[in-house]
Amino acid sequence: MRSPLAQGSLFGVALLIGVLLVGQLRSQARPTEISQLSAQELSELVDTLGARNRELRTGLADLRETLRDYRLTGTQGQSAVDVGREDLRRITAFGGLAAVQGQGIVLQIDGDLDAIALNDLLNELRNAGAEALAIDDVRITHRSVAIQGPVSLLIDGHQVGRSLTISAIGSPDGLLATMERPGGIIAQLQQFIDASIVATQSNQITLPATEADLAPTVAQPIE
Amino acid sequence: MVLLAAPGIGRVSAATPARRLRPHLTWAISIAAALAVVGFVGAIQWNSSLAREAFTTSAQQTLARQVTSLEAEQADLRQQIAAAEAEVRRFQQQSTTSSAVLDDLNRQLSAARLAVGLTRVRGPGVIVEIADSKRVVPDGENPANFIVLVDDLRDIVTALWASGAEAISINGERLVATSSIYGVGASVLVNTAFLSPTFRIEAIGPEGLLQRFQEHPAFRGRVAQRIEFFGLEFATQASSELTLEPFVGTTRFRWAVPLEEADE
Repeated sequence: MRSPLAQGSLFGVALLIGVLLVGQLRSQARPTEISQLSAQELSELVDTLGARNRELRTGLADLRETLRDYRLTGTQGQSAVDVGREDLRRITAFGGLAAVQGQGIVLQIDGDLDAIALNDLLNELRNAGAEALAIDDVRITHRSVAIQGPVSLLIDGHQVGRSLTISAIGSPDGLLATMERPGGIIAQLQQFIDASIVATQSNQITLPATEADLAPTVAQPIE
Repeated sequence: MVLLAAPGIGRVSAATPARRLRPHLTWAISIAAALAVVGFVGAIQWNSSLAREAFTTSAQQTLARQVTSLEAEQADLRQQIAAAEAEVRRFQQQSTTSSAVLDDLNRQLSAARLAVGLTRVRGPGVIVEIADSKRVVPDGENPANFIVLVDDLRDIVTALWASGAEAISINGERLVATSSIYGVGASVLVNTAFLSPTFRIEAIGPEGLLQRFQEHPAFRGRVAQRIEFFGLEFATQASSELTLEPFVGTTRFRWAVPLEEADE
């Protein structure tokens, strides 16, 4: 037992047990490793990641255009102001701080919708590529969530009635197809809630800027 | 077993009295038991590997390679976007001394970036961690009940925003106006990133955020019950200083046009 050979053997056996046990535990973990997803899940993941990467490439191209403008104009004078203003328009539109207009879809909802269902609808629209959203006249920002109030649903402090409209700017075809696909969000919700949801395309949707003050009070910027 | 035990046992038998056989016999039994465990675990491991290999079709392998390739491409694109954003900010910072108009414009830009999640921020807040249950799934139970679902993350995020959070990130992915938390099978996509548990949700917000979060109906209604019933791993902690990275991704719209521009 005290001989180096015996100790080495014992160490080897212990190591082998450890490696095998880790391997076994890992094989029982959830299938979040890509190699363990089903073909259907992988196919959906490829589609989703492909679409997101296309968005990123477009965004990168636009950013490079802004940089080119800055380089051409230098950092002074009216041209630099114009580039900065354009950047400000982009950021305020992105975050809901500015009113926007464009094509998209409108969901007309009548009935009893709970907060979870309303938040799920917003999430699904975002996932389908909606660029800007509003419930009735309330612009949705990153901090907007539907909650159950004392008498009705509330979004950013505004009451939401039994009859409401969700407006989404984005690809009208893409948004409508996602919302109405068999087994999609509308089909799912209509099994569980007592409400009608009708989606229609629109060529011109106007969404207001948010009335909420999004300036943080405790989060401090790090430059 | 022969290779490990034979030399020792042989030496003992030849050079020591019988009373010294006992410790060596104990040792031999221990090694035999250990090797039996190795054999057992090894056999299970081998069988499960075979089953998984058989299940993985060539189509799955091709798709898995595509996913890996797309993830690598995405990491590269995000890096390039972050670098380009930083360069834009440098241009704007350099120009602050140029004129009062530019100075004012850059202040507005900084404020807008901060408000919508495009700036790195720090502040007090809470950390929430949630991971799959470690319980053995009982026969007849749905295994999906024992893993973190996309609904759990959405409920946690909803409760945090509703409790006054000013900035939230999930595994480093900052949530902005266009962010979705999306499930693909058992996996989760946030913004453009494919995330795996443990999910770490960090939120900066005013004092009392943790207590408000824990008491909020959006948390207590569904996810808190799943944590209790199915044993999802869950922990929360208040923090005096968190740092959240900015959103990295596209901030340019294709379909939505700022209204003043549309009017022109």
